[in-house]
Amino acid sequence: MRTYEVLFILSPQIAEEEATALITEFRSVAEKTGAKLKNEEAWGRRRLAYPIQKSTEGNYHLFVFESDGSLAELDRRMRNSDRVLRHIIVRTDEDLKRADKLAKRNPKKERVRPVAAATAEGVGTPGIPAIEGGV
Amino acid sequence: MATTSGPRGPRSGDRDRDRGPGGQQGGKKKFFYRRKRVCKFCVEKLEYIDFKDVKMLQQFIPERGKILPRRISGTCALHQRKLQNAIKRARTVALLPFATD
Repeated sequence: MRTYEVLFILSPQIAEEEATALITEFRSVAEKTGAKLKNEEAWGRRRLAYPIQKSTEGNYHLFVFESDGSLAELDRRMRNSDRVLRHIIVRTDEDLKRADKLAKRNPKKERVRPVAAATAEGVGTPGIPAIEGGV
Repeated sequence: MATTSGPRGPRSGDRDRDRGPGGQQGGKKKFFYRRKRVCKFCVEKLEYIDFKDVKMLQQFIPERGKILPRRISGTCALHQRKLQNAIKRARTVALLPFATD
């Protein structure tokens, strides 16, 4: 099982009904190719960091799929659609698994810090923790 | 602490002043004590750097829109690489700028 995140930006010019229609279409395209929807987030209108096709805003939408196959068909559809300003498909399962493993290997623990020294140093300079002793 | 009434005279005064802003510029190199920078991701045990987390990524984007070098941010090599990927991904979907002026 692979996990994919699909984030895409719909053009702000299109009507809301059309946008929801497109979103359901994309969802069904992915599901037809064997993907299972795990999560979905509608970010709504957001300012773009830079203009794309002369628009400064975009309608963001996020899918998280789990699939054994690929999302090539969805990718192709999004690329060909002129309603989609940008899209990105990222595989996340491996990175998340690795992150999990790393987190387990060094579990969150309080860093051993020479407390006495730190407080003694930090008397005159509030807001600046003395961290030379750490790490 | 502004007045140099420290126990060891001007030297400790200098030191406190330089550490105060915690910034890049120090007048005298000789007495410049840079704060030890630590990798934020190592400290906070954030192993996965999400490209969608704009607020977090923005800490590593100075005004110009470039990626903050690790010599300044103190990020470790591993996490800088992951951060770099995340920022580049965020740029392709216009969450972050390529350049601003």
